Amino acid sequence: MPDAAGPIGLPPRFAGQVGEVADWALSNIDDPIAPRLLEHVQLSVAPVLLGLAVALPLGVAAARWPRWYPAVLTGVNVLYALPSLALFFLLLPYTGFSPWTAIIPLALYTLAILVPNVVDGLDQVPDHVRQAATAMGFSPMRRLVRVELPVALPVIIAGLRVATVATISMVSVASLVGLGGLGQIILTDGFRRNFAAPVVVGVLLSVALAFLADGLLVLLQRWLTPWTRGRETGATSRSRRAARRDAPPTAPDTGSAAPPAAPAARGEDA
Amino acid sequence: MITFEGVSKRYPDGTVAVDHLDLEVPTGRTTVLVGSSGSGKTTALRMINRMVEPTGGTIAIDGEDVRAREPAALRRSIGYVIQQAGLFPHRTVEDNIATVPLLLGRSRGEARGRARELLELVGLPPEHARRYPHQLSGGQQQRVGVARALAADPPILLMDEPFSAVDPLVRAGLQDELVRLQKELHKTIVFVTHDIDEAVKLGDAIAVFRPGGRLAQVAPPERLLSEPADAFVEEFIGYDRGVRRLSFFPASALSLRSDVLVEAAAPARRARETAAATGEPWLLAIDADRRPLGWVAADVLAGADGDRPVADLDLVGYGHTFSVPTDSLRAALDAAVLSPAGRAVGVDADGTVVGAVAQTDLGTAIWAVGEADGRAAVDGRA
Amino acid sequence: MILDVLDWFTRSEQWTGSGGIPVRFGEHVLYSVLALVVSALIAVPVGLVTGHTGRGGFAAITVANVGRALPTIGVLTLVVLGMGLGLFPVEVALVALAVPPILVNTYEGVRGVDPLLRDAAQGMGMRGAQVLLRLELPLALPLILLGMRTAAIQVVSTATIAAYVGIGGLGRFIVDGQSRREIEMILGGSLLVVLLALVVTGLFALLRRLVVARGLRARPAATG
Repeated sequence: MPDAAGPIGLPPRFAGQVGEVADWALSNIDDPIAPRLLEHVQLSVAPVLLGLAVALPLGVAAARWPRWYPAVLTGVNVLYALPSLALFFLLLPYTGFSPWTAIIPLALYTLAILVPNVVDGLDQVPDHVRQAATAMGFSPMRRLVRVELPVALPVIIAGLRVATVATISMVSVASLVGLGGLGQIILTDGFRRNFAAPVVVGVLLSVALAFLADGLLVLLQRWLTPWTRGRETGATSRSRRAARRDAPPTAPDTGSAAPPAAPAARGEDA
Repeated sequence: MITFEGVSKRYPDGTVAVDHLDLEVPTGRTTVLVGSSGSGKTTALRMINRMVEPTGGTIAIDGEDVRAREPAALRRSIGYVIQQAGLFPHRTVEDNIATVPLLLGRSRGEARGRARELLELVGLPPEHARRYPHQLSGGQQQRVGVARALAADPPILLMDEPFSAVDPLVRAGLQDELVRLQKELHKTIVFVTHDIDEAVKLGDAIAVFRPGGRLAQVAPPERLLSEPADAFVEEFIGYDRGVRRLSFFPASALSLRSDVLVEAAAPARRARETAAATGEPWLLAIDADRRPLGWVAADVLAGADGDRPVADLDLVGYGHTFSVPTDSLRAALDAAVLSPAGRAVGVDADGTVVGAVAQTDLGTAIWAVGEADGRAAVDGRA
Repeated sequence: MILDVLDWFTRSEQWTGSGGIPVRFGEHVLYSVLALVVSALIAVPVGLVTGHTGRGGFAAITVANVGRALPTIGVLTLVVLGMGLGLFPVEVALVALAVPPILVNTYEGVRGVDPLLRDAAQGMGMRGAQVLLRLELPLALPLILLGMRTAAIQVVSTATIAAYVGIGGLGRFIVDGQSRREIEMILGGSLLVVLLALVVTGLFALLRRLVVARGLRARPAATG
C-alpha cells in the first residue's frame, strides 16, 4: 500500500540531510530562491491563461460544429506529443531567451487538456436548459456566456486544474534551455555542483506550488459555481457522463478520468 | 422453507431497516414482500443470501441457519434477479446465463448447452445466445436475467423488483411469463415489489411491510384484499381493493342467460317475440357459429319490418367478451361496464357465446361473494 | 527549412553507426517501453486493488497527484546525484511521470463499474477476486488502456531527457542540434519523437481491438 508508514525514527544521516537542505534554503531565500520562484509562477500562469484564451473559442467552435471536433482533437494531440525540449530550442532563434520561448510551447500543451474539457463541458449542458434559455429570448451569444459556460464551468475548471499542475511541473524543463524558473536552481545550483540541497528545495517548491495552485482553483470553482456545492464535483460528473462515450482517438488523460467505455447506459433498449 | 425468526437489521448510524421480522416462506410457493421504499423489504430479501448480514435473529433455509454456510457457496445455490437485470455488458447472453454453472465448475460446453435450454424456457429465440446485452430490449434483458438466475437450477429464487424498469405492457408480459414458469418449476420464490397489483398477480402469499421495517400483515392476496389487518394495510392496498378482489372469484359461477340470444339470420318478427317473452330490453345477435355480432334493442325490433333478418338491423357493439372458464368476476364486470347495452358477453374457450349477464345480475353475484366472506369470517371466529 | 530537414534525414551517416537514427530510435523505444512496463506493473495492481476495495483510494489518488506535480528534471537530477549517471535515473523519472495517469484511470475505471453489476456478481456467488478479474477488470480495461496510452505518449516525449545523462535516445539529436546550432537536426529528432508517438497511438488502438470485450466496443453511441 502506498500509504504504509515508514520507519519511525529518522536515521541520523537523513536528519543531517534535512538540516543541510534547510540551511541552504534559509541562506539562499533572497537569491536565487525568491526570484526563481517568481519566474516559475510567471512561466506557469502565463501559458495556462494563454492556453485558456485559445481553448475557449476553439472548444466553443468545436462544440457547435462537432464535425470538426475530431480534427481539432488530433491537432492538439499531435502538439502534445512534441518533445518540450525540441520546441524550446526551435523557438530560441525567434524569441531568444525571453519568457515567450517557454510560454508558447507550454500553452500549446495545455490545449490538449483544455479543449476536450471545454467541449465536454458544453456538451454536458442539458438540452432542456439550452431550450429554456432560447425560449426566454436569449441570443446565442448571450446564452453561451450567461447559461452554457456557467453550467460547463465545473468541467472546464477540472481541466484547468490538471493543465495547471502539469504546466508547473513542466516549467522545469524550460530551465534546461536556460529560461529560468525553479528548474534553474535544480540544474545550476544542484546538478552542476553535485549538490543535493538545491535540487530538493527546487522539487519541493515546485510540488508545493502545484498543490497551492490546485487548491486555489478549487476555491475559485466553489466561489464561481456555488450551486455545485454539496453535490458531486464537476470532475466526477464529467467522468460519469464521459463514461458513456467512446474515447476520442487520442485524448490525453485529463486527470479526472478520461472518456472510456464503461457499463452500458442502463434502461436504454437496443 | 425459509424461516425468519426475530430478524433485525440495525445500521451503525441507528437506522433500523428490518425490525424483529418473523416470517415463513413456504417451499415451492411465491411469496411477495411489498411495501413503500424504506420499509425494509429489499433488506429482508438480501439477508436470505447474505448480501446483508442481520444484526439480530436467525434466517434458516429448511432448518439450516444461513450463517452456517459460506456466503459465496450459499449464493451459488440461490437464484438472484435484480432490477434492470444487471447483465454483464462484456459477456454474450449465453455466457451471462452460464455464469453460475461456470462458477460451480461445470465445463463451458455444458454450461452453454444449459444456457440455450434456459433461453428457450424464458421465451427467447436461440439466435439471441451470441448477442450482447445492449443489443436486447429492456424486457428481453430481464428475461435473460431470469434465465441466468435459473441456470444452476436453484430451489430458491430471490427477485428484487425485477420488472420495475420496464414499461407497463412489457411488465405485464413478464409477469405472465413468471406465473407460467412457476407453474412448471415450483421454485420457492421471494419477490420484492412496491406495486400491490404486481404482488396480487404473482403472490401465493403477500407480506406487507410498513415503514421502519415491521411486518404489517401476511396473507394470501385474496384475504389481504378482503381483510386488511389495519388502516395502514388498507390504505396501502388502495381503495379500489373491492373491485380488485373480484379477480379471485371465477366468472364460471355466474348464471348466464342464453335466452337473450337470437340468430342473426332469423327474421325480426321472431326476435320481437323473444324480447317480449323474456322482457329484456336487449338481445344479442349471434352468427351461425355462435359468435357474437352485436346487441339489438327491443325498441329497434318493435319498429322494424318483421321479415327483415336481425343482421340487417341497427346492431350495437358488444365491447369485449369475457371467458367463462378462465376469467374472473372482475373481467365480467369490466365487460359489462364497457358495453353500451350494460351487459357482458360470456364466451367459451373457443370463442362461442355461452350467454350474457346484465350489470344488475352481476351486482347480485358480487353481493353474494361479500355474503360468503362474511359467513366465513363469522365461522372463523367461532 | 523543410529541405534542410529532408536533407538531414537522407544523409547516409544518419542511418549507420552508434549515433545513427536506427540506434537512437532503438534506445528511445527501449527506455520508453521499459518505463511503461514498470509503471503498469506498479500502477495497475495498485489501482485495481484500491478501486476494488474502495480502501486507500484517497492515498492512491494523492500519490498520483504528487507524481503529476513532480518536476521530471528534479527527479532525474536527484537520482543522478544519488546513484550517478545512467539508465536508472531516467527510468525513475519516466516512471514517476507514467504512474499517475495509469493509476488514476485504473482506479476510476474500477470505481466506475455500475454498483448494480457488482451486486449481481456477488449475489450470484462470485468471490472478491472473481468479481475483480471477471467483472471489474474487463469493464475498466478501456479506461486503463487510455491511461496507458497517455502515459506512453508522455514517456516517449519526455524520454528525450535521456540524452542529458549521456545514454542517448532521440533526445541526443535535439541536444546535439542545439549545441551545434543545427536546427534541422533538432527538427529531425523531434519529428522522430512525434512519429513514435503516432505509432504508440496506433498500437493502442490495435490493442483496444484485441483485448476489449466486443460487448463493450460495439455499443450504440449515447446521445448528447
